[in-house]
Amino acid sequence: MGAEVVTVSTDTQFVHLAWQRDEKLLEKVKYPMGADPTGNVSSMFGVYDEETGLALRGTFIISPDGTIMNSEVNYYNMGRNIDELMRKFKANLHLSKHADEGCPAQWNDKGDKTLKPSADLVGKVYEALQ
Amino acid sequence: MEFEEYCCGLRVGQKVPDFELDTFEPTKGDFGKFSLKKAKKAGKWTILFFYPADFTFV
Repeated sequence: MGAEVVTVSTDTQFVHLAWQRDEKLLEKVKYPMGADPTGNVSSMFGVYDEETGLALRGTFIISPDGTIMNSEVNYYNMGRNIDELMRKFKANLHLSKHADEGCPAQWNDKGDKTLKPSADLVGKVYEALQ
Repeated sequence: MEFEEYCCGLRVGQKVPDFELDTFEPTKGDFGKFSLKKAKKAGKWTILFFYPADFTFV
């Protein structure tokens, strides 16, 4: 997918091993499973819950120069949509190569219309997207 | 930049201080390390996916 994907919880790498080995659903998991037992990294990203010692469901896209381009945090009981994560990642890749463009709300993949902010576009976004 | 400077979590647009995580690598069946510094050096994007706990639903 062109990115280093790391899943992170406050479990140790040993628990990660046990879980991945035992849980059939995780048979196909290929991403490194990061261990943050101190909660330091979770805290740095603002997803550490001091009361439980657990990390909230946070997703962060970091550019190759180390800048956070997207952040999304869900509470415990709400899952994430991987399609939406992929959409954001693809949009980021596109915009990193076309800094003068914008990916509008309905942008899904390469080839979809982007917008170039200009005087002509003011008040004419609907027409530009047709 | 130090951890302590971030009382409230990093925000979009901010640079992430270099950090490392011990990992379990399912493809190798072995332990490893993730280093943001190395990912940056390799010109790679990084996606961090936090979740509350192993042995629960993700």
